[in-house]
Order: sequence, then structure tokens, then C-alpha cells
Amino acid sequence: MLTGSKTTFKVRQMLPDIKERMLSQSGVNARSRDVFGLRCLPGECVLQRAVMVRKKLTAREGRGWVSGTLFCTHFRVAFLPQDSPKADDNADPVLLGDHDVALASIEKVVVVGPNRTKLVTPNSSLKFTPEELVLYCRDLRVICFLFDRLTPDAQVLEITYTIAKTYQPPKPGSVLSFQNAALGSVEMKQFLSNRRRNTHMNWFECAADWEQELERCGATGWRVSSVNDRFEMSTSLPRSIVVPQKVLDTELKKSFAHFNEGRIPRWCWRHPRGSDLLRMASFQNNIYHEKDDIRNLEMILFGCQSSLCVVVELDEELPSPADVQLAHSRLRALCLGDISTSVSVPDDKWLSTLESTRWLDYTRACLRKASEVACLLRGGHLTVALQEADDRDMSCVVSSLVQVMCDPHCRTQHGFQGLVQKEWVTAGHRFYTRINYHRDNDKEEAPVFLLFLDCVWQLLSQYPSRFQLTDDFLLALHDSIHLPLFSSFLANCQRERCKRSQNLGQSYTPVNGWRDMLHQDSSSDPSDPPLPSVWDWSLQYSKHRRDHFTQPVPPTPPLQPLLNGNLNTNPDTHRLTDTIPGSVFLLSRGSFSCPSNLLPWRSGSSGVYKKSHRRAPSSENVPGLERLLKAWALAELPHGLSATSGPQGPLDPYEPLLPLLMGPCMGLWRECYLRGALHAQAFSHPISANHPHPVERLAREVQQLKDKLAQVSSGANPNPPSKTSEPRRADTNLNQNTNNGTFLFPASKPQGAAMPRAPPPATSTNHLTSRGPPPAIAPPSRPGHKDNGGSNKHTFLFGHSSVAEARSDQRYYPAPSNAKLPKSNGSSIAS
Amino acid sequence: MVSGIKYFPEYRYRVENLSIVVTTPFSYLFPFSPTGSHVEWCKQLIAATISSQISGPVPSDIANRENKNLPALRYGAQVIMSQNQVPLLPGETIQTTVKDVMYICPFSGLVNGTLTITDYKLYFTTVEKSVHIQESPFVLDVNLGVISRLETISVPNQGENTKGLELVCKDMRSPRFAYKTEESHPDVVELLAKHAFPLSHGLPLFAFLYKEQFPVDGWKVYDPTAEYRRQGLPNESWTISKMNSTYELCDTYPSILVIPTNITEEDIKRVAVFRAKHRIPVLSWIHPETQATIIRCSQPLVGPSDRRCKEDERFLQIIMDANAQSHKLTIFDARQSSVAVTNKAKDGGYESESFYPNVELNFLEIPNIHVMRESLRKMKDVVYPTIDEAHWHSAIDQTHWLEYIRLLLAGAAKVADKLESGKTSVVVHCSDGWDRTAQLTSLAMLMLDSHYRTLRGFQVLVEKEWISFGHKFAARVGHGDENHANSERSPLFIQFIDCVWQMTRQFPAAFEFNELFLITVLDHLYSCLFGTFLYNSEQERAAKEVQTTTVSLWSYINSQPEDFTNPFYVDYEHHVLYPLVSSRHLELWTGYYARWNPRMRPQVPVHQTLKELLFLRAELQRRVEELQRDATSHSLSSSSEHSPAHSTGTPLHTAV
Repeated sequence: MLTGSKTTFKVRQMLPDIKERMLSQSGVNARSRDVFGLRCLPGECVLQRAVMVRKKLTAREGRGWVSGTLFCTHFRVAFLPQDSPKADDNADPVLLGDHDVALASIEKVVVVGPNRTKLVTPNSSLKFTPEELVLYCRDLRVICFLFDRLTPDAQVLEITYTIAKTYQPPKPGSVLSFQNAALGSVEMKQFLSNRRRNTHMNWFECAADWEQELERCGATGWRVSSVNDRFEMSTSLPRSIVVPQKVLDTELKKSFAHFNEGRIPRWCWRHPRGSDLLRMASFQNNIYHEKDDIRNLEMILFGCQSSLCVVVELDEELPSPADVQLAHSRLRALCLGDISTSVSVPDDKWLSTLESTRWLDYTRACLRKASEVACLLRGGHLTVALQEADDRDMSCVVSSLVQVMCDPHCRTQHGFQGLVQKEWVTAGHRFYTRINYHRDNDKEEAPVFLLFLDCVWQLLSQYPSRFQLTDDFLLALHDSIHLPLFSSFLANCQRERCKRSQNLGQSYTPVNGWRDMLHQDSSSDPSDPPLPSVWDWSLQYSKHRRDHFTQPVPPTPPLQPLLNGNLNTNPDTHRLTDTIPGSVFLLSRGSFSCPSNLLPWRSGSSGVYKKSHRRAPSSENVPGLERLLKAWALAELPHGLSATSGPQGPLDPYEPLLPLLMGPCMGLWRECYLRGALHAQAFSHPISANHPHPVERLAREVQQLKDKLAQVSSGANPNPPSKTSEPRRADTNLNQNTNNGTFLFPASKPQGAAMPRAPPPATSTNHLTSRGPPPAIAPPSRPGHKDNGGSNKHTFLFGHSSVAEARSDQRYYPAPSNAKLPKSNGSSIAS
Repeated sequence: MVSGIKYFPEYRYRVENLSIVVTTPFSYLFPFSPTGSHVEWCKQLIAATISSQISGPVPSDIANRENKNLPALRYGAQVIMSQNQVPLLPGETIQTTVKDVMYICPFSGLVNGTLTITDYKLYFTTVEKSVHIQESPFVLDVNLGVISRLETISVPNQGENTKGLELVCKDMRSPRFAYKTEESHPDVVELLAKHAFPLSHGLPLFAFLYKEQFPVDGWKVYDPTAEYRRQGLPNESWTISKMNSTYELCDTYPSILVIPTNITEEDIKRVAVFRAKHRIPVLSWIHPETQATIIRCSQPLVGPSDRRCKEDERFLQIIMDANAQSHKLTIFDARQSSVAVTNKAKDGGYESESFYPNVELNFLEIPNIHVMRESLRKMKDVVYPTIDEAHWHSAIDQTHWLEYIRLLLAGAAKVADKLESGKTSVVVHCSDGWDRTAQLTSLAMLMLDSHYRTLRGFQVLVEKEWISFGHKFAARVGHGDENHANSERSPLFIQFIDCVWQMTRQFPAAFEFNELFLITVLDHLYSCLFGTFLYNSEQERAAKEVQTTTVSLWSYINSQPEDFTNPFYVDYEHHVLYPLVSSRHLELWTGYYARWNPRMRPQVPVHQTLKELLFLRAELQRRVEELQRDATSHSLSSSSEHSPAHSTGTPLHTAV
């Protein structure tokens, strides 16, 4: 054992009291640093370490191996590369380093020895010295460490045992100790309670948040009701719900009983063309409908659109949570292989097996349903109500997908986070049950949220330039789900979250303060750690990794997507709007109908709406969606758009992103599911992190040269260094971009670009134009380029540098003609 | 430029059924540019078919910029527009025009229009503006070389004298037409057959009629001596031999061969007798450091009685000795071992390890050309005309196409690994050494040598390993030949390009060329527009004077390299690329195989983005150079102490 091993101890002997030991050490050595340079969290102690270990890098990290030291603490398995820079002791604590994995994320520990592979359980003992340690994680990562011959055998064995014994295959209770290990120290509690909430996003937690959303969407005729403020009307609904203005709270109260779990129709989002998206649970059929009730129900359902309501039935065509769970577990098995035996699906059966998991089918089904709804909403002036039996799974998927498709705001990182808050966290998706952190509720487990993330990834991969968030962000969110640390995911509804925060008293913010409800015995213990929100990314990811969450270039005002005709893009709204006010249609299996029992109160004997009902179009008159295909394809663009801007005019930013859904177009999220494929080889990849992309290198060189110029001429020119900061920003952005593997530029420019090229302003680019025909004029030199909607690629890339250059150019390039005679330049600079 | 309307070259044409589904953004475009070079036109045509193209209007100043930058505009000849608006290539003549033809589009129903048949292509366009005035005309352009066979089909409900015609194409599509038979019309089928299969009708291939002038001469791309000199040859062990200059030694080999120095001409002749088709072991590539070599040849004629050939055994011994790093030699027999054994009965066979000391023999178990042909045929059923959404993946599995791609890549990776890690020379052969051997050696060389991953280098690789070493392009593709059922046909070159594409997917920055380049190469494999892929061997091409009478595909490509360049390219000079060959990491190249399906087109014009990047890079580079010049001059004028500091600012290798 090496020097400085004071904190390590024989785990096998000490195991029974590890927990006490950990707890007793909490807070003792705050902000400690292990002798090998690992920066520990307050209260975290290193249980074991092994030197000269190599970690296998994924394709994203550049492949190959990196050597360093492996640690096991009571919270994580950490790996510190040899040459990693010393962390700043005063920086805020980051729970996990770039190479770390939380113990709670680990699903299985496998060691590879000479010619054999063994699954290591807390009780197993090894008869050989492992050469390789493989950690299979819940988030589908596979982390592989290779022990060197120089690693002492004792260290290899000890760290293997330690990890196997401390990672704690989940059982009720272990989650709490994990949370305590991470967040339980006094310092951490203090740190977390002082954390400021991200104010750039909407948290949808109070009435004001909803007001803000109503305003953002321009939704009039709706109001925020606090009728459920004490969760008396519905336990699973949030405190604030948005309902039609004309319905009074007293009227509203009577409606809750008509819906499953009291989940009445609530407003989610308004399409800019005036259609509203609502979601609701199924009707309670065995209830008597009073006349007043019916009026209220109709008002709630129709919202502000008195004419038309389409109920979209979600249960029938979309997978049930059980289906999702089955598909996901099959996908896991397929992508990871049989963990303990290293047996995987033969190559020639790979695609067939992938197909038989049905995961892609389900993704497609969700996207198709959302596309249908998005197209319906585009028709304008109708109410679309998503209906699911309990309104807590698939309607979360569909309503949020619709908004991702239609609303550019939801494709930004903060917008997306707000969307998840709105449609999932506060809307009462049962994260806690569906993720099943405690492994005590296997029947209800279903990664519905992961299905949603996959759908978003499909959209992102088909429209890379229309998203501000990146697949790195989606991946980070995907991985965070499996970490039982975040208040966002450790509850089933807002009520549970609030209950916990009340127990914790006033010292914690409501968001951060909720804790596992199942541990009633300790729920009143104020020492329980306050849980952070998942959106507090700096807790989990370094600045470098967080920079990758967004595209360096904001998406352009989008082009109209290509309508490929595999979806209905324009349901016959003429026909629909021609119908009598108060008509309700059912959209199911791609076609409209109006079954008589759609609204239970209309089918009964109440008879109020019988007359109009009889006149409503019969189902055979309502054309199927597929048949409307051509009608749309030949239809004109909506008025107003084409009129203002010509045929190529600025396209409606709310035009939905309709994904292609054919077999070949639905991709497997390889970066997520195949991160640890057993067959991945360890050859080094030419694209490594320390090999920057040429554009980046060029940008860097431009910067270097500029600095050099500034340096050279500093005698004559007192203020050139001022220009360094901005171009450097461009540089880092480029860097991000190449690492993202996404495209640097949005697909095309905003309409402003269609105007004739402006002559370059004389000040900055004269020397460029003088050099014979330049390939083109760099648009940023165009005056006022920021006005044309921004986000023009040239604006971005040249923007900063040309600003800087404009200044320097005036000094360094005295006359256009001089550019060809560099010698004379020098003299002019010297002057 | 027409009356203030911006000129968008990429979108003048709408290929296939696009017009029905796509809405108006293209509509105001002037359908054809009255001016513009053929190169430009040709490029657009291909561009229009490439999946990533069709997606949105090009921002105007990009289009303008493009025009300015293209050398093609300066050098290329003008496209001749015939009276009825059919763009013609130089040397192309219209054979007939048939009105009232219906194109039976598998995606959007019937389209009425005019069919023009030239000696190069079939050109179908809607005459009248369609229902919506804004619609630009629908255009379907099929070059005749791509047609595999013509079939008459029945067209129900269209009247008695309506005939149906299906063009079964080699590039995964089968457009169908319906036309009225009238006496005044010449018979469409007959005329098409005559020009689609000119060799069967005593006519020349269109490549010999094509009169385009390009600024770059693609025939100069490959100079064998220069290429061997680049590899460091000749050296003390290897010599460049002109033994085959008259193709007497081997009629399917190139005239210039690299063979060991210390072997006599007599011995070589004896070896030639012992190897199938006289294809003796010759050097393809030599490792610059270890001197390990890739040798290609055909199977030894061992026969059922296990014949031996002392000279052949000595030959391989010399090859082994030429590499001081290893005392072994590995032979990769691409065939399935069972097939190699049965070949013995047909007078072929494989090297017996007992007769060849220190030789290790490996079988790569790759099925033969007939299996590949069948696999691609199944693939066509999967991707055209309709795609079964629910069973797409299992249908792809059942074609086994990716399985064979995997075998090829794995085999090539083994070869490359043996050379790189094992430092051992490698002999590759199959039966005749012109199909699977070419696939394996060229892929291995692509993995080993970064030069072949450049635009020019790849052309050299194809010229060398495929064209000069006698891959039977004429027989495998069936240029101008109506015998579609010929069992000699097989998509081996497509397989190779597919493998290259798989590698470009896995190493997106390691290749200088882009997907458009690969698709263009495959399109002109069939088109008979260029002479590059015509005929079976160098000898035949010399006899037909291909180089003097036809245009090279590389002339076209190299006249506008920026269109075929990957902006992400970084020259990883000493990197050996080992692709991941598990089928988890292979993808079906839908951008090629399923590109005719309009629903397959991606929504974001990736290709356009790439061009933008290229442009940006050029711009940045120009600035660097500019600043460098100024900085240098400045430092010279001010003081000398700054001048050495500029070493960091060396210009990047950017071929824009």
C-alpha cells in the first residue's frame, strides 16, 4: 500500500460498519482532497483506490484509453486521469467528474480475468486477479477499466470488492443512504439551500408562472385557477390549472368528479393560429349529469373555441406503460448483451432483433400521434383535447412532443426544461413510480420519459439545425433520470413534492426540498438532504460539458419543412369548420368520427344537444387523414404568409417539424444505447480531443495572428488588446460545435438574405475586396445585419472577428491597394 | 438570371415525383436556366437525386457565390437547349419525342407529359404547367446506361391501344410509363432498346459520342510509375517491371507491374502458368516503415492431384524475405473454404501450407458474385417502390447485404491489421483475383494509407486496384448489353463503395471526399457517359483507345472538386483506420439505395450546409494567409526578432 493510504481500509473486514463509518465521517473533512488529487465532496471519503488503471474512452470521448487512478468512495466510483489539471478548491462542488459514475447508477459489476468473465456480487470472492473491471450502468453506459500489470494485485482485488459491496443493489432504504452520501453533509445542505433557482426558465410551480406562459402564448380567454391550491380537488394535479375565463371556480369544482382522478380538461398550450391544446383524463361514466354540470363541462372542454373540439384518444394506438417497459428491457438486453456471459445477439440477427423489441415502433407511434395533433392545431381555431385514461403517461409524451414540434421556444434548452416542468413534473407524471428507484414496484415501472427523450432525439436528428439544444443535453437528461438525487424525479406529483418541503420547514426552497415519502419514520428529520432540481446542471456537469448542451449558433427562423406526405398535414378543416358550432369529433386511428358516446353527457337522456348532434356529420362523411394528403399538398400556403413575403417568404416558425416515420428514417440512438456495446473495439480513433477541427484550428490561428499583429504594433497602437475577447468566444463556440458533431450552421438563412447583396461597407472590408474577386462578401460586414432576425451564420462567425477587425483594419490597412504590397503596410503601421 | 428572380441552380430540376408532394417554395423558379454549363447541369442532376439535396430554396447569395466560384462556369461548355426544352449534352442528339405519355409514379399516381429519347437519356417532363401555376414542371431524367432491361407491362383502364413499359434499372428503381401506340410513332421500346443497349445493336457507347471539354484531364490522374514512386518503389527488393507491356504475360493485368528484384523472367513465366488466368503475385502496396507488402494474385492451379510449382513456392519465399520484419507470410483466400476445396476439382485450389513453408493460410469466407447479385436484388424489393414500415429492419436482415458488407470490412481489417500490427506481408487472392481480391486489397489500402482517403488518392486507388488490375467492369455491369440475365453481372463495385461509405460514417473527418462523390461515382459506373469504367481490362481499353476518344469521370470530378469535398476533412496522415465491423455499427446506405423514394429525403439540406462550411473555411484560410503576409512583412520592417515566432501559423492543408 502506498503512502497516504490513511483513508483506505480493508473493506471486507470493515464492511459491517461501513455505513456508520461513512455517516460519522460526514462533515468532518469538508472539502477534502485525496492525496492522489481527487477532489472529494464535503463529507465524502475514499474507501479504496487503485493506481495505474486505464479507462476505456467512448467514441464521444475520442476512443482509446486514458490512464490514471481509480477511486471508490461511498458515493461514486471516480477516475482521475493522470494529467488532469488540479481542480480549484474554492469552486462549487460538482457531484460527478467527467469520468465518474455514481454508485446508484451501477447495475452490475463484472470482472474479466484471463479467459473468463465473472459477475461480482457483494458476497462473491474471486479466485483470480481481474485484468479488467466492467461497470454496467442503468443508464446504458458501460464503463471499462483495465488494470495494468503494475497495479498491485491487492489494490485490484480490494477495489473490486469495495465497489461490489458498496454499490448497493437497490433496495428500499439504500436510496436514502445514497442521497445522504452525496448531499447529506452540513456543507452540502448549506450549499444546496443557498442555491439560486435558474430564473431563465419557467418552473410552472405557481400561478404567476402559468400567467407568464399564457402571456407568452398569447392565449386569451383563459385564466389561472387556484381551485386546487390545497390539492383538494385532485391530488395529482398541480396547484395552478388553466381553465376558461368564463368558468367560475364554483362551477369548476363540480366538474372534477366527472373525470378520472379529477383530472379535468386543462389548457397546455396555444398554437399561434389560435388553437388550444388541452389534456384530460377519461370521463367518469357512472355519474349523473345535471344540466348545470353539462353546461360547465362543455364550457371547460371547448375553452375559448366555441365551435369545434377534437378529442384525441391516446390509449388505443399508443403503447401502454407495460409495453414501454417490455420494449425498453428488450432494447437494453440487445444493446448491452447478456451482461454476465458476454453473449450477444449474432450479427446477422441484429436488425431483426432490434425490430422485435418494438421500441422503434413505439417511438414512431408517439411521433405519429403528435404529428397528427400538430397538424390539427395548425388548422387553427379549434380545441384539441388529449384524452388518456389517467392522463399521466402518454398524454405527457404527446402534449410535450406536439410543443417541441410546433414551438421553437421548446427546442431551446430553457424552453425544453420548462416544457418538462409543465407537462411532466408538475402535471403529475409518476416519475417516482415509473422509474422505480427502490425496485419495490416492478409492475409499475416504465421508462415513459425515456421514450419521450428518444422521440425528441428522432426529431433532433432529422432537424439538426432547428434545435438550440443538442443531443448532449438529451443524453445528460437521460443519464440523470437514473440518479436518485433530484426532486424533479423523486415524486409522482406536485403534492408529494410540496409535502416534503413542508416537512423540511422554511429553511429550504420549495423546489429543492422534497424527500422520499416512503420513509415516513425519518420524514420529519430535518437533517435529510434537500434535493436539488435536475435542472441545476452545474451540480452534475462541468462547465465544459454544459457548454455542449446548446448549439453555438441559435437556430434560424426556420424554413418550411418538406412535407413528405407520410402524414396527414392538413386535415380537412374546412369541412370541420363548416360544421355546427359545438361539434365534437374523435380522432382515432388516423380518421375523424363522431361516435354518439364520445361525450357521456351527450349520449344520455339529457337531450340538450340532441338536435345539433343529429345534424353533425356522420362518421363516413369525415374523410380519413391519409386521404387528405393530396389536398394539403396542393393547397396554398396560408394567407398572410405568402402575401407578405413572396413565394419564398419567411416561413412560419410554428410550422410543425414533421418527422419522417418510415422504417429507414427511424434511427437508433446509438450514442445512447450503444455506448457500451460489447463489440466495440478499442482501436484509437483518429478524431481525438486533442486534435482540433480544421475550422477551429483556422479560427485559432486567425486569433493568434491577430494577437501577434497587435503585439507587433503595440508601440504605435495603444489599445489593440481589447479585441481579443470576442474572437475567442467564437473560437470556443466552434470548439463546441465540432465536438457536438452537429452542423455548424443552420440549414439556410433567414429571408433577409434574399435581398440583394449589400455592398461591403468601405471601412472594414475594402482590403478584402481589393484582392481580386473574393468568393463572396461576408454578410456580417453588411450594415445592420443584426436586424434580419439574427442567427445568420456569418453573422455569428465573422460577427465578432469582423467587429474586432473593423477596428484594427482601419489602422493596419491604410489603403486597399496596399494590401497587395505588404511591405508598405508595415511602414504605415509603424507610422 | 431572369428578371430579378434569383437563380437557384440546385433546384431547377425536380426529379421523380417530388413535385406532387412538395409545396410551393421552388415554384417560382425559372424551370431551366437558358445558360449555364453542362457541368453545372450535370451536377445539378445528380445533386437533385442525392437525398440530402431536396429540401429548401438556396439562399440567394449562396447561389450567386457558387456561380462565381465554379471553375465549371468558366471552362465548361454550354448546355444546348433543344427546342422543346430538353437539355442536351455536347454530342447528344434527340432520337424521338413522344407526346401524351404517362409516367406511372409509384408514389403519387399518374403524371402526363412528353417523353424525349436521346442517344444518352430518357427525359420525361410535364409540358403544360400543372394544376397549380406555381408548380414547376415535373422532370424525370433516366440515363439509358442505367437500364438493365425493358419490360412491357399491362396498363388497365387506359384504353386498348395503350402500352405499358417498365424500365428495370440497375440503380434500384424501375420507372414505368404508359403510352398510346399510334402508327405515326416509332416504336418506343425498340428505340429505347437500341440506345440503351447499343453494343447489342452494333452502335457505339455514348461515351464515344460525348464531346464535353473539361479544364482538367482526368486521364492523367493515375500514373502507375508515379504512384509506385510515392510508395518508395522501386527499392532493393522490388522492381518496376515492363514485362507485361504488351500484355503477353497476362492479358488482364496492367502493363506495369511491381515484382521482386531477384527473380528471373523465366521463373515468372512458369509462375504465370501455375496461376489462374496467368495472374501472378504482384505488389499492390508496401508499408513505408515495415516494408510489409500487400500482394495480389489469383488462385494457384493446384488441381485434384495437388500439383506443385517450385517457382511459385520460391516466389512467395522471396516476397516473404523482402520484408525483414517478419519470417512469415499470410495468405488470405477470400473464398469460403469449402468452395476453395471444390475448386481443386476444377483445376484450381489453394496453397498447401505443407508445400509453402512459413505460410499461413486464412479463408475469409466471403460468398461469390452470384450470392451478392441475389442479395442486391432482394434489397431492391425492400426499398423500391414501397418500404414496409413495420418490417423494415428484418427485411434488411433477410437480404444479408449488410452481412456481406461486414464480411468484406472485417476481411480488409484483418489484412490491414496483419500488415500494421503483425508487420507481415500479405497475399490476397480469390479465384481469379479480380473481384473479391480487388475489394479486399483496395479496402485494406484505404485503411492503411491516408493518401487514398483524399479525393485524388481515391481516384488513384480505383484506377489502380480496380480498373488497371482488370476488374471486369464491362461484364459485371453489362455496359450497353441487353443480356440482363447474364450471370457474369454482379454489384461488386457497389459493395466496395458501400464499404467506403460505411467507413466515412465511422470516420467522418478522415476522408476528403463526401457522399455526393461516392454517389456520383456509382451513377457513372452505369451511365456510359465517361470512359473510366468501360471494358474489362487495360488491354481492351488500349485497343479501343478509350483515353483518347472518351472523357474520364475524374475530369468531371476534378473540374469542381469543391462539390465533392468533405469540409470536415482532416488529414490523419499516419493513422490506420479500423472500422467497427459489428453490424451494430453498420448502417444501410439509404441515401443511395432508397434515394428514389421521395419520402426518404431528409428535411435539412445537409449538403448545402457542407458547402457553406467549405466556403467558410476558404474564407478563414484566406484571412490567415493575409494576416500572415502582413505580419511577416511587418515584422521584417520593424525588427527581426519576431520573425521566427511565426512557425505556429503555418498554412493548413486545406484543399478548397
